[in-house]
Amino acid sequence: MADVPLADLLSVDRVVLGGTAGGWEDAVRQVGELLVSSGAVSPDYVDAMVEREKSVSTFVGEGVAIPHGTLAGRDLVTRDALCVMQFPGGVDWHGDEVVLCIGIAARGEGHVPILARLAELLMEPDRAAALRSADTAGEVVALLAPEESPA
Amino acid sequence: MPSIEATQVHKLVVACDAGMGSSVMLASTVRKQLAATDITVEHTPVNHIPDDADIVLCHAGLADRARRAVPGRVVVPFQLFLGDPAVTRVVEALKSGGTVDG
Repeated sequence: MADVPLADLLSVDRVVLGGTAGGWEDAVRQVGELLVSSGAVSPDYVDAMVEREKSVSTFVGEGVAIPHGTLAGRDLVTRDALCVMQFPGGVDWHGDEVVLCIGIAARGEGHVPILARLAELLMEPDRAAALRSADTAGEVVALLAPEESPA
Repeated sequence: MPSIEATQVHKLVVACDAGMGSSVMLASTVRKQLAATDITVEHTPVNHIPDDADIVLCHAGLADRARRAVPGRVVVPFQLFLGDPAVTRVVEALKSGGTVDG
């Protein structure tokens, strides 16, 4: 399967700001539904995301979690896609606080540069804070867009 | 516990359950930190760790599965995807020459 162009992986229509969630599972399900409604995964993928979160948390630090399915759930992905949901009030994530979720649906490797970019952002506290407190979807997409020059 | 000398390490694998999320992020960070070495850094699902992996980094919750997948290999568990001291120790040992214990 050919990798999806970066611009198709994460677009402003899959960035939701100012959300609220009653807990990590509610947040994961909301993120999952966003992937379902964008046609990237079948509904069962949402359960795979919750299962994964129960076995090992996808909290990565700096108030960010990256919920995604299990290896078995990979077959439920029809199209590689990312989505972002912001929960300004914070969500309890097995004892950590999560403000931003980046949902991942991937069969291929096209999303790897965006996650690499995310890892870099989260190492810089100022930029991590900018990502958490972004006011527009465009800001989020711009922050996560990998730099053009190859590493 | 298996251990390996830094000079004998050719491939480091970051393993997670699906190989699509957290392992990708950590692998990209470690790859950058080891850019000056000849070590190849890959990310894979824990069930698909390649036979030629010299060191496997994986989340503590998956360490037993990883050890079963590649018996006798150095498996280093970590808790944090960013800035885990166990990962920092491995990177430092590989950069400066030393022994990595599983």
